[in-house]
Amino acid sequence: MGDTQPTQLRSGNVSPLVQRWGETLTELRPASGEPGWLAEIRTRAADAFRRNGLPGNKDEAWKYTSLRRLEELDPDLGGTDPASAGHDAGPPLPGLAGFGFRWSGGRIDFRDTPAPEGVTIEHVEDALAGGNEPVKDQLKSLFESIEFGSRARAFEALNTALPGPGVVIHVAAGVDAGRCVAEWDLPLAAESGMHNPRLYVVLEAGARLELIEQHGGEPARSGSAHRDVAQGLNLLFRAELSEAAVLQHVRIQNEDNDGIVLTFAGVRQAASSRYRFSGFDTGGGLVRHAIECFLQGPGAQAEVQGAFVTDGERHVDYHVCIDHQAADCSSDQFFRGVLGGHSRGVFNGKAVIRAGADGASVRQSNANLLLSREAEIDTKPELEIHADEVEASHGATVGQLDENAVFYLRSRGLSEAAARRILTTAFCRAVADRLDDPGMSEAVAGLLERAMPREMPETAPEK
Amino acid sequence: MLQIRNLHAAVDGKEILKGVDLEVNAGEVHAIMGPNGSGKSTLANVIAGRDGYEVTAGEVLYQGENLLDWAPEERACRGIFLAFQYPVEIPGVNNTYFLRAALNAHRKFHGEPELDSMQFLQRVREKLEVLHIDEDLLHRAVNEGFSGGEKKRNEIFQMAVLEPLLAVLDETDSGLDIDALRTVAEGVNRLRSPERAMIVVTHYQRLLEYIVPDRVHVLADGRIAASGGKDLAVQLEERGYTWLEEGGIGELESAAEA
Repeated sequence: MGDTQPTQLRSGNVSPLVQRWGETLTELRPASGEPGWLAEIRTRAADAFRRNGLPGNKDEAWKYTSLRRLEELDPDLGGTDPASAGHDAGPPLPGLAGFGFRWSGGRIDFRDTPAPEGVTIEHVEDALAGGNEPVKDQLKSLFESIEFGSRARAFEALNTALPGPGVVIHVAAGVDAGRCVAEWDLPLAAESGMHNPRLYVVLEAGARLELIEQHGGEPARSGSAHRDVAQGLNLLFRAELSEAAVLQHVRIQNEDNDGIVLTFAGVRQAASSRYRFSGFDTGGGLVRHAIECFLQGPGAQAEVQGAFVTDGERHVDYHVCIDHQAADCSSDQFFRGVLGGHSRGVFNGKAVIRAGADGASVRQSNANLLLSREAEIDTKPELEIHADEVEASHGATVGQLDENAVFYLRSRGLSEAAARRILTTAFCRAVADRLDDPGMSEAVAGLLERAMPREMPETAPEK
Repeated sequence: MLQIRNLHAAVDGKEILKGVDLEVNAGEVHAIMGPNGSGKSTLANVIAGRDGYEVTAGEVLYQGENLLDWAPEERACRGIFLAFQYPVEIPGVNNTYFLRAALNAHRKFHGEPELDSMQFLQRVREKLEVLHIDEDLLHRAVNEGFSGGEKKRNEIFQMAVLEPLLAVLDETDSGLDIDALRTVAEGVNRLRSPERAMIVVTHYQRLLEYIVPDRVHVLADGRIAASGGKDLAVQLEERGYTWLEEGGIGELESAAEA
């Protein structure tokens, strides 16, 4: 912190920022054309945010993720300037076809590719003002489902209190929407601050959607700061899956060293629906993904998986909670982390089996490789069972590469560095290989491989 | 090709090899036999360069140069191959990728152009046929979920692809049934050539019925206790290693000279 900071800030106490954000919320006026119920929710969310402030390390859910990096943000709440531009460097995986949109700062540009018949993609405000009553009802239900009462949910409160912008995707019953690409492109310089967009997905009975989210830029861009000012994203994601609907959700995140990316996903699932989240992450200045699935109908399935590779001072945090509320549901959490340098990772995977949610199948697996002594992973699998006939397995490991395997590869002629690289990459591939699309598997595996820490402790020539 | 002189080596501070002398020439197959704990695997691992095997005295020359100066990968690229007693399972790395990377590392070392995947596959298919290996093996992760026999065959297959000058087979027969043993031995025999030397490390004489050695050495308590022709292995098998430990070395030496 330089001398220019008016107040001494401590971790978990970013009060001038909170104060400024609170003031901004107070100054907000109801958006034109906004329904009364939404104005009321926004007011309550603003009140909650002002009352609670931001979480700190005393809040269990935020114990290992410091919000210190937020101090670098301009205290303005960004996202209202439609002229602000993205960095134009292209997303982590360029060239993905499909309908969708690109968000950069205050602006959302829809792709030229039209959405298939039975699929609508539009601004949340337009959907609220439009004539499609069922969609409006769904949106209302989604807004009402957002929890923001506690301090741990300050970012949900902040996002909900603000008027937008946002996108809603609606897929009619039985329609396979194919691939939708959502690019989140934090502005280069136009407007510093915390941006608060939202993305809502509604899948009617039997509908299917593949949603690919891309954050940050191409691999070449990571590893150094490219912006003049710090930028933050606070993305709220909500999805409603009707009976037998299937949502494949892939999120690729490759922000630069100063990038702040906070995402909060909540997915409500009816009977026999399936949600599959696959996150591929290289961390950033401060990256946190919260994913909550509510298995509300019998036979619903949630698979939440991810691989992250971090180096330098980068940070990534996954908080997953799967709430089994109905019988015969299954959930599978599968995460792999590779950490080098001084980077830090957090994995908190929880599954709750409520009373009556009998016949549940719950799997959790989190394995991590630490490639340097200074890297750190905090992993915590949690299982809370109140039902009968539950089949559960969970495990978390933290370790180094198997030296027998390293020697095996070297004995065949591969250099030690190459051997370590191959083994480390293979470790992460376990997640990429779970994707249905082999091309996508290759692409994300390649992305993670390029993000692998360059300096392996045993091969470092110095020290 | 290989000259080992007065080799002493220790593992975890404990001396295992206590003065091994051995000379292997191009075109020869040498068997090294001996009871458990005699130092057979230690010798194999010292030659390949595994960490944790400390050479405390003596020298190992390969083509006249000090092999101990080189990292394991350099030894490999210069033509030394160790077939592991316990091949390592490597989930997530497929055999084709692994072998091509290894072969290209060798080629790069010798200033030869790297092979692309088509050229590589072409070269590999011929070897597969010879070793009666299903092409499916190429697409599987290295040794993952392989049976004992498949793992050992995969070792010999790697050897066939990398074409070493000096191959050390560490207990390649352990855990194999008779059919797998035959297949592995056949693979090894096809690789015998005037340019290539092999050291076959084994506890039992059984393997040597299929891979007939030019010389047999008996390693006992960290030293070569006796050397002889292929009949030495037969005699050792008949009389057992306990006989050796009970002072039969003198007899054995006279047998070796006979």
